[in-house]
Amino acid sequence: MPRGNALAQGAGSPITMLSRGERVRSLASEWGIVLVIVALGALFGLTAPRFLLTENIVTIFKQISVVAIMAIGMFVVILVGGIDLSVGSSALLSAVVTMFLLNHGYLPTSLAILAGIAAACAIGLVNGFLVESAGISPIIVTLGTMIAVRGLAQTILWIDNAWLWVRDPAFTFIAQKNILYIPALVIFTVLLYIVFAVVLRQTSFGRFLYAIGGNARATALCGVPVVRLKTIAYVLSGFTAGIGGLVLAARLSAVSPGVGNNIQFDVILAVVLGGASLTGGSGRLEKSMLGALIAGMILNYLTIKGIPGPYQTAVNGLLILAAVVIDRVSRGKAE
Amino acid sequence: MRNVLEMRGISKRFPGVLALDHADLSVRSGEIHSLIGQNGAGKSTMMKILSGMYAADAGTVTLEGKELSFRHPREALQKGIVTVYQELSLLPNLTVAENMFLGREPGSRLTVDDRAIRRRSKEIFEQLGIEDIDVDERISDLPLAQRQLVEIAKALSHDLKVLVLDEPTAPLTNEDTEHLFQILNRVRGTGASIIFITHRLREVLAFCDRGTILRNGRTVTTVDVAAVTENQLIEAMIGQEADAFYQASSHRGAISSVPALEVRNLTVGTRVLDVSFQLYPGEIIGVTGLLGAGQNELLRCLFGVLPRSGGSVYRDGREILIHSPREAIDNGICLLTENRKEEGLIIDMSVKENITLPSLSSFRRGRFLPLLNNRRERDSAVDFIRKVGITLRTPGSRMRTLSGGNQQKTIVARWLLSNLDVLLFIEPTRGIDVGAKAEIYRMLSALAAEGKAIMVVSTDHNEILGVSDRILVMYKGRLSRILSRSEAGEEQLLSEIQGWHKHAQG
Repeated sequence: MPRGNALAQGAGSPITMLSRGERVRSLASEWGIVLVIVALGALFGLTAPRFLLTENIVTIFKQISVVAIMAIGMFVVILVGGIDLSVGSSALLSAVVTMFLLNHGYLPTSLAILAGIAAACAIGLVNGFLVESAGISPIIVTLGTMIAVRGLAQTILWIDNAWLWVRDPAFTFIAQKNILYIPALVIFTVLLYIVFAVVLRQTSFGRFLYAIGGNARATALCGVPVVRLKTIAYVLSGFTAGIGGLVLAARLSAVSPGVGNNIQFDVILAVVLGGASLTGGSGRLEKSMLGALIAGMILNYLTIKGIPGPYQTAVNGLLILAAVVIDRVSRGKAE
Repeated sequence: MRNVLEMRGISKRFPGVLALDHADLSVRSGEIHSLIGQNGAGKSTMMKILSGMYAADAGTVTLEGKELSFRHPREALQKGIVTVYQELSLLPNLTVAENMFLGREPGSRLTVDDRAIRRRSKEIFEQLGIEDIDVDERISDLPLAQRQLVEIAKALSHDLKVLVLDEPTAPLTNEDTEHLFQILNRVRGTGASIIFITHRLREVLAFCDRGTILRNGRTVTTVDVAAVTENQLIEAMIGQEADAFYQASSHRGAISSVPALEVRNLTVGTRVLDVSFQLYPGEIIGVTGLLGAGQNELLRCLFGVLPRSGGSVYRDGREILIHSPREAIDNGICLLTENRKEEGLIIDMSVKENITLPSLSSFRRGRFLPLLNNRRERDSAVDFIRKVGITLRTPGSRMRTLSGGNQQKTIVARWLLSNLDVLLFIEPTRGIDVGAKAEIYRMLSALAAEGKAIMVVSTDHNEILGVSDRILVMYKGRLSRILSRSEAGEEQLLSEIQGWHKHAQG
């Protein structure tokens, strides 16, 4: 590069690699969550042998897939320092729109799916606009759209006599079929993660999102269109929420008014358990899937052990608190 | 005179860094003792050990002959060791008096004796001779300089033995600084000792009794301030001769007759009024004035951060319209602001990522393949890390692990990598140590010699006189005078800055 030789006086700063011990330590803190999963798996397997059966493991993965998919967009929003409470409602809206169009034969399958996802993206766009351009707090905005969008989707259902049945073969395929013994749903989820992980890690778009979460003002002064990118983050959250809603509908074979209700908390839990900082700027997308896996393992274990639902809800809440405390403590240590 | 405080053989190791290596410090009672050293010399670590924030790995701290070991900063407070940090700890929505006794309010368990708080606060202010602060005022209504005085008064409300001030004068004007030292003299009158951390050697020479110089975690020496010169202090700090501190003379000044940047009648709200000047390639223009004379706003507007309300800007003779930093960058203009932390650094990202942030698009693998070429990015970053002389362990080091000077150099590297031609720097050496300052000056000079057009805003007159080819003096938003290097002397510069004789533009 033909740039500034006159600065060569400053040369000679030593640039070294980290020592082996340091690398091992940073690897351990980065991927400690894998050890947690192995430990939990061992513990649960010992106390409930059925837990480790292949069949049960497949069930767990299918159970967490919807939350894991929606956690992708949530991760992106949390990465830029926001939060999205509306994902459960966007999921319902996407499912309702798609099934409504399909069941009435208005559109072919592929276009109906696109329409449903587009509807969820539109909600994300509204969220993004209200948060970033109108400057309203993301919790308030997405709480509002959460309620309004659920109402909207339920209205469509109500006009259409309450329930929509899922009969389209594309949906039964994704929910029930295996590809080489692996459920299609799991493959689909992993593929989504790979695509988004590459985008976040290997593109300037992804780098900018991390930078915005770290220091939005400094990033803007580097010429990055911060408002636009943060708005896109909310649209992505709508996008994965929309996909999640369709997958959920496929798994349930029906769309009822309660679909996706409160799922946003499971989604946020997955992201936080995956170590993303709630103040933004750090975390790894892949670990959100592992976070969803931890929560899914615990709930599955409680079910096997015959613990009733209300207790499970309480455990879920405690998990959120635990994750937030861990987040707080580990950040305190870094500073 | 006896020593009230002794720190002996203090060592402290952080992962990968020996921050303190058997450092010593002894402070006499009733003296103002300055702790001097470059960033990373160990000053802050030393003071954090004293105030109980860190535990030392080795060494002893004795206060009035008794050995201390703190497990919590509160214990240091109870022993009368009070630290005032740069980020003040006052609660803005409470009054002065409420802040003074926060957490230690007199009264019964359930009630607060408001009158006692106010009375005792007033007594302390009287004792310090501070007349212009009303104890009933809210902190948020006070200017920064007065908030500092409240912090100091608050320190006195403890049974004060040692007061530690961490760079208290960095944001202050000269007048406020002098006032601060008058107050500190009163504090000293109560028998308390003061440890004073600063980068400004002039303050050390003017106001302190003794000074201890740290370098690389070791104590170099302790001196009587009356017996040393500024150059001797600089040499002790950086460990080499302080020759040619501001190397402005190595470039020749303007090398082209077409201005890289021409500003005509620029107005920014009421902050900048009708300013016109030309900046040529190869030239460094210094911009100075009192705090708030419009110099920062001028540069911010040129970078598209503040909207222009009138006037025009030309780049290489073409008129340009800039509404955002992106447009400024596309026109070859960059800005380094005075708020390194808030507006410059992404503290949790790596040095490499901080450097390449504005130029990421040039590291794409291909026009239609938006993936980043990591190797090329890393190589470029390393290249510029070397060029600006950043001391770090790996390009992947987090920003937060770097000293202030190295952080500043990282931001300079960021803009050099973008290869822009007009460099706007606001207070480029604020809060960084002497060694890094000298390097920044050298860099500015070398960049100008390369043909860059540079503007430097600074309130440090020596810096302005040292680095500039021409000096713009601003007064209340207007350009009051343009001085050439040959005609500018410190006296004249000062009187222009104060607006004492208001010439027409020169």
